[in-house]
Amino acid sequence: MQIQRKMREFSRDPTSLLRRHNDGEAKVVGYMCSGIPEEIIIAAGLQPYRISNIGEHTSSLTPSFICPFASAVLENILRLEDLFQGFIVAHTCDPMWRIFDILKKKVNKPLFFLRVPHNTKNELSFDFMRMEFRRLKMFLERNFVTEINNNSLQSAIELCNHTRDLLRNIYLLNRNNEYKVKASDYFSLVLASAWMSKQEFNALVEASEFGSGKGQGNIRLHVNGTAIYDLNLITVIEDSGGFVVSDDLCTGSRYFWDNVEPSQDPLSALTSRYLTRTPCPAQNPLDDRLRYLSDMVASFNARGVITYAEKFCDPILYDFVHIRNKLASDGIPSLLVDYESPTQEINRIRNRVEAFIETLGD
Amino acid sequence: MKLNSRKKKRSRVLQTTRKIGELIVNYFSKAWDVKTQDKPVAWITVFTPVELLYALDVYPIAPEHFGALCSARGTILDYLKEAEKEGYSQDLCSYSRCCLGYALSGLNGPMPAPDMLVTFRNACDVYVKWWQSLHIHLGTPMFIGEAPYVLTYDDLNNYVLDYVVKQLEQLIELTQNKFGVKLDMEKLVNAVNLSDKASELWLQTLKLRRVRPCPLGGRDSASDIFPLVVMQGTEEAVEFYDELLAEVRDRVKRKEGVIEKEEFRLMFDGIWLWHAFDIIKYFEDKGAVFVHEPYSEAWAFRLDSSKPLESIARKVLSMGLNTDIDLRMEKFADTIEDYHIDGAILFSNRSCKSWSAPQLVTAETLNNQLNIPYLMFEGDMADPRQYSEAQVKGRIDAFMEMLSES
Ligand code: SF4
Ligand code: SF4
Repeated sequence: MQIQRKMREFSRDPTSLLRRHNDGEAKVVGYMCSGIPEEIIIAAGLQPYRISNIGEHTSSLTPSFICPFASAVLENILRLEDLFQGFIVAHTCDPMWRIFDILKKKVNKPLFFLRVPHNTKNELSFDFMRMEFRRLKMFLERNFVTEINNNSLQSAIELCNHTRDLLRNIYLLNRNNEYKVKASDYFSLVLASAWMSKQEFNALVEASEFGSGKGQGNIRLHVNGTAIYDLNLITVIEDSGGFVVSDDLCTGSRYFWDNVEPSQDPLSALTSRYLTRTPCPAQNPLDDRLRYLSDMVASFNARGVITYAEKFCDPILYDFVHIRNKLASDGIPSLLVDYESPTQEINRIRNRVEAFIETLGD
Repeated sequence: MKLNSRKKKRSRVLQTTRKIGELIVNYFSKAWDVKTQDKPVAWITVFTPVELLYALDVYPIAPEHFGALCSARGTILDYLKEAEKEGYSQDLCSYSRCCLGYALSGLNGPMPAPDMLVTFRNACDVYVKWWQSLHIHLGTPMFIGEAPYVLTYDDLNNYVLDYVVKQLEQLIELTQNKFGVKLDMEKLVNAVNLSDKASELWLQTLKLRRVRPCPLGGRDSASDIFPLVVMQGTEEAVEFYDELLAEVRDRVKRKEGVIEKEEFRLMFDGIWLWHAFDIIKYFEDKGAVFVHEPYSEAWAFRLDSSKPLESIARKVLSMGLNTDIDLRMEKFADTIEDYHIDGAILFSNRSCKSWSAPQLVTAETLNNQLNIPYLMFEGDMADPRQYSEAQVKGRIDAFMEMLSES
């Protein structure tokens, strides 16, 4: 299908899109985490752009024992700085926090640090997070000489909700034992939605049809982890007889699962959405995350769970113990695959995934 | 008996520092007394408001301190392995692995089981993940507080402060409801006063390290912080720092330094290597003395007892690693001047990603802007398996040689 080919192209070389934004004179603001409210950036008339680790060179500015994903993202920011007008970093895990420190010393573009409450269930976190969103709004207004008002926020919310609806509808095609959309195609769509203008993305998806083809695998799996930009990690599963039906990745369902509810006060509506979205591995409560994972596995009829972990990724490496135990009590086998560089380790990863899928086969 | 035997070489560690061992023993034995009296024990991360817990009659125990202790005493490996057996990766903070291993192997040791788990995310995000894990393994009630990164000093007076103050109120309420206790304001004011006093004394003592020869070295400062880690707000802590200050003043008066011939004055950035503590002595034997560590200063914070909660909240927020990198670098610059520092040792600690991640840009600033040579080496503060003594000592030799030549 044409759109999927296009998406795959984008995900192979996202910088081409970035250059296209620049040629079209869009002002691009880079960010790294699905916890950043793109709606506020769009409402400021700016183009949000999710910065990936594609290219995979880790930065010489971080020690060898820091998550290679965060380090490569840092490297990409430094390499591509000229193509951006500013950056927003969210306080999720230690490496992301400290990347802000490093950027503060290294980049000359406006830089914003969004302090995300780690305890999402505390009722005090709402007011705090709303204040942080307000601070972000003011930062954008000040640096880009623009005004963000309720109207522009409302239309940005509608636009992003529409993108999320489109993505979710395609995703749900695989529910109830269906095998309609290949995850490797699907995830490239999600990535493209975080790189393209939402208008363009929505129009493209609306003009296409999904759900006609099935991949070669038939063992239904759920993939757990943080951000995955290297879609070879998904194709190795498909090549080994697996069919990824659900996920809770920052570059997957965590990005689009929950919509912003309509409200008179868009900033509060955004705060609620980002505070109650699909549980993030860096936040609390973990019990919610474990429950969510179990539910997801059950409603998509997954037979096993693969957890992908960047080496040194604290959130996933702590969680894995509890995820494994929880899934075991549900009778669902799970596998942890960690890596520093998927490209270089693809054979090892393939062997592990194959062996796991074999144990799940009849 | 011959009286002319050679005079014993002057001991370089302070007399008062030697009392820390006994303080630690008493501290843990008190923890068990509290437990047998059916009073609550809380496991805390170290930058959690201990004063508040004492005022609520909750006894605070810090597993990070326990991790350091096990590492120093060479008993940590069993705990680490226990955690690893459960699936905790060797790449996770070794304090957390030690604690999780202790919890998983039946809590047999000096730390009594917790009745409550309290943390504030401030030094690192690991706290959140670690405490969640404990909560799941032990089923103990948990409070996860958030002390957002302090970006400017305004944050110590705006909605950020407010957020932390309100969380402290939640913690009070939770503790009161859970254990049927009542916060005694007088007790809190008293604890705040005592904590402030202990901090004041410690800061005064640290300032005396500006003097040449430096009267208090790394082996002292590494131990002397203990009362400020888990005993802020107690009389014992104040007594200890009183005595320490007097001894250090006395040394200054007598112009007696940590080492006989002080040639180089160094700064140490990081947590000490508890399992390889003799590394400090290795520097001292080469004529170098540690005159400053951000780690030692991190524990002291002046409190205002007329606004106890606000001032505790400021303390929880402003611990060193939780303040903006530019503010940290300003402090570095002042310190380097005030303490006449010749070189910096930066310990790249595999456990502590929060500390180590920005260390290379810190080093760059030290070198380019402040003109301070530095040595950076890698290892782990508590896990001895992640450290190569020969390699590190080789690098120290080379660094010291370079310092002597410059
Ligand atoms: S992969 Fe893990 S450690 Fe790395 S940036 Fe993401 S959450 Fe942080
Ligand atoms: S050593 Fe670092 S990562 Fe570990 S608990 Fe302490 S501050 Fe956190």
